Amino acid sequence: MAKDTTKSDEFDSTIWTERYRPKEFSDVVGHEDIIKRLESFVEFKNMPHLMFTGPAGSGKTTLALVIAKKFFKDKWRDNFLELNASDERGIDVIRQKVKSFARTKAIEEFPFKIILLDESDALTKEAQHALRRIMEMYTTTCRFILSCNVSSKIISPIQSRCAVFRFKLLEKKDVEKIVDRITKKENIKINNEALDVIYKKSNGDLRQVVNLLQASSSISKNITDKILYEVISEVQPKEIKAILEIAVKGNFLEAREKLLDTMLRQGLSGLDIIKTVSQEIWNLNIKQDDKIKLIERCGEIEFRLVEGSDEFIQLQALLASFSSLK
Amino acid sequence: MLWTDKYKPCSFNEIACQYDAKVKLRQFILEFSKQSKKAVLVYGPTGSGKTSCIYALAIQHKLEIVELNASDFRNKQQIHEIIGQASQQQSLFNKGKVILIDELEGIDGNKDRGGIQELVKLLENSSWPIVLVANDAWQQKLRPLRSKSLLVEFKKPEKETLINMLSRIAAKEKININSEALDAITTFNECDIRACINDLQILSMLKKKIIKDDIVKLRYDDIRERDETIFHALKLVFKSKSGTLNAFDNVQNLNQDDFFVWIDENLPKEYKGQDLAKAYDVLSQADVFRGRIRRWQYWRYLVYIMALLTEGISGAKKTNNDEFTSYKPPSRFLKMWLVKQKIAKKKTITEKIAKQTHCPKRVAQKEFPLWKMILENRKIQEELRLEPEEIEFLKR
Repeated sequence: MAKDTTKSDEFDSTIWTERYRPKEFSDVVGHEDIIKRLESFVEFKNMPHLMFTGPAGSGKTTLALVIAKKFFKDKWRDNFLELNASDERGIDVIRQKVKSFARTKAIEEFPFKIILLDESDALTKEAQHALRRIMEMYTTTCRFILSCNVSSKIISPIQSRCAVFRFKLLEKKDVEKIVDRITKKENIKINNEALDVIYKKSNGDLRQVVNLLQASSSISKNITDKILYEVISEVQPKEIKAILEIAVKGNFLEAREKLLDTMLRQGLSGLDIIKTVSQEIWNLNIKQDDKIKLIERCGEIEFRLVEGSDEFIQLQALLASFSSLK
Repeated sequence: MLWTDKYKPCSFNEIACQYDAKVKLRQFILEFSKQSKKAVLVYGPTGSGKTSCIYALAIQHKLEIVELNASDFRNKQQIHEIIGQASQQQSLFNKGKVILIDELEGIDGNKDRGGIQELVKLLENSSWPIVLVANDAWQQKLRPLRSKSLLVEFKKPEKETLINMLSRIAAKEKININSEALDAITTFNECDIRACINDLQILSMLKKKIIKDDIVKLRYDDIRERDETIFHALKLVFKSKSGTLNAFDNVQNLNQDDFFVWIDENLPKEYKGQDLAKAYDVLSQADVFRGRIRRWQYWRYLVYIMALLTEGISGAKKTNNDEFTSYKPPSRFLKMWLVKQKIAKKKTITEKIAKQTHCPKRVAQKEFPLWKMILENRKIQEELRLEPEEIEFLKR
């Protein structure tokens, strides 16, 4: 079953992020220097452990997949394992999966298998030290590609074992190139204003660019900035701001009811909420002094959450200080 | 007749789960003469079938049971009289005999003085198997017994097994109940077999067709009744300015974690504006200490927690609210459970997206609103192999 679902990206996927995910180095837009070096690894059929760091949607996973396909050709599924550090619970699961995968030698003539560990900065320090051991243990049979957003969260012993590649956010001209490629193939039109909106909204995150494009195209084949705003307003979380406004009016009970509801329904953590709250404070219609006071409160509550306090109680305490403004 | 009696297991095979435990237990009782230890200490959560299992064995193998439980006094003398004699005598009617001491933690340090020591002494020269039953085998006072007994653990029954059992009972009693409702019964009772069967019986007295909401309502009323004293304690804390330090001392069955959610639920009904903010500040301070206990395992912080929860909350207000307020049991966990049921499909969908598009579940979750639009396309639904229920969820 698991194999079946991954297989479908070989024939044409209906999901655009997959349909237009580059399969060759030459398809990849931007990152010219990185690609040159990666190509030489494939050419010499050898590589060190790699670390890809950079913002979301800049092409880290895509390039890891290209490497696997180039290295192993049609056998890439047997020799490539994709794990996600933030999805797998704990290093033990990873260790088990890695172990059972790495125990056997690579199939046919390949010198090693490749393991892609996505979001490796989600691992705790302890887990990273365990990972370092794993990397050493299986070094004869396996190469790791670690991908992460922030390299500083990775302990230096791991960094020193990897060749580090830093991915930059895609520039506007790159995004335009990709949008152009997709719109031509899909027979849709898009105006320049809409392109601007897509670029700004996605912050250069290609996954978001393509998803936005596909969502918009489900409304119209002629994408204008108006249609994009329509899509964006539909998907924008408006709840937190509304909750804060209710709280500021002094209606604590209603605000907390809505907060709990939003958290549970959208599966948001206390930290997710705090992040949005600290941004939304500036958009509230209250005195500047109060804004500063609330930001300070926010910081204190965030600190407590990180320390391991109960998120519901702490957030409600924060909400109560919103409703007690004079 | 109580269904817990009507449907109690009468033989080894009827005991629904606990396979390892029941095999061990049978071996101990039937081959007692070969055992190096004279007693078996059976432990596990309430309603996992510990006592039932022993009775089922006794019925099947025609053993006489001499039982002592928490309703009996259990000091040194009484234990000696009842158990001491039974452990030496032949059984009436020449049957085999099992000595069962249930609810071991009920032996009180003061009132039942010397009880445990006496038991230890009796264990050593009993001519019949002694079965000791407790929830937690690792408490301090059971230590002398632990080393002299064979330990048998009963685990919390598995949900599926329990649901099967309940639906068999429901079928025999001609009750119409769907799997969602059965799931709710087991969830609310934390897989306590006895409590589940009791709930089923109570509900069946009201109606023959049981749905999830009936169970939710039942548990709600139940919490109300059981925790009368917490209402009193809350009233004391919320309505006085000070002198409340011992307010929660008499509240049974609840611990400080419960006090947090009870206060949290009801605080906004009593306090307003500045008072509310101040009280919440106190509550959140108490919560910080709670986090520190977890982190450092330093339990003395409990003193500060209780002081903040009582005097701290009482003193946080400027004005007293003299009106009558009706307090409510915490709804947070109930809500969490209900919502979890509702969004379970969202989770399975994001998992499929994450797998197919090589992205973390967290990212798929974040972009779910966008995906909802993309997934309107039938072909994409097919590619992700969405189930009919998942497609139904997307339409809402």
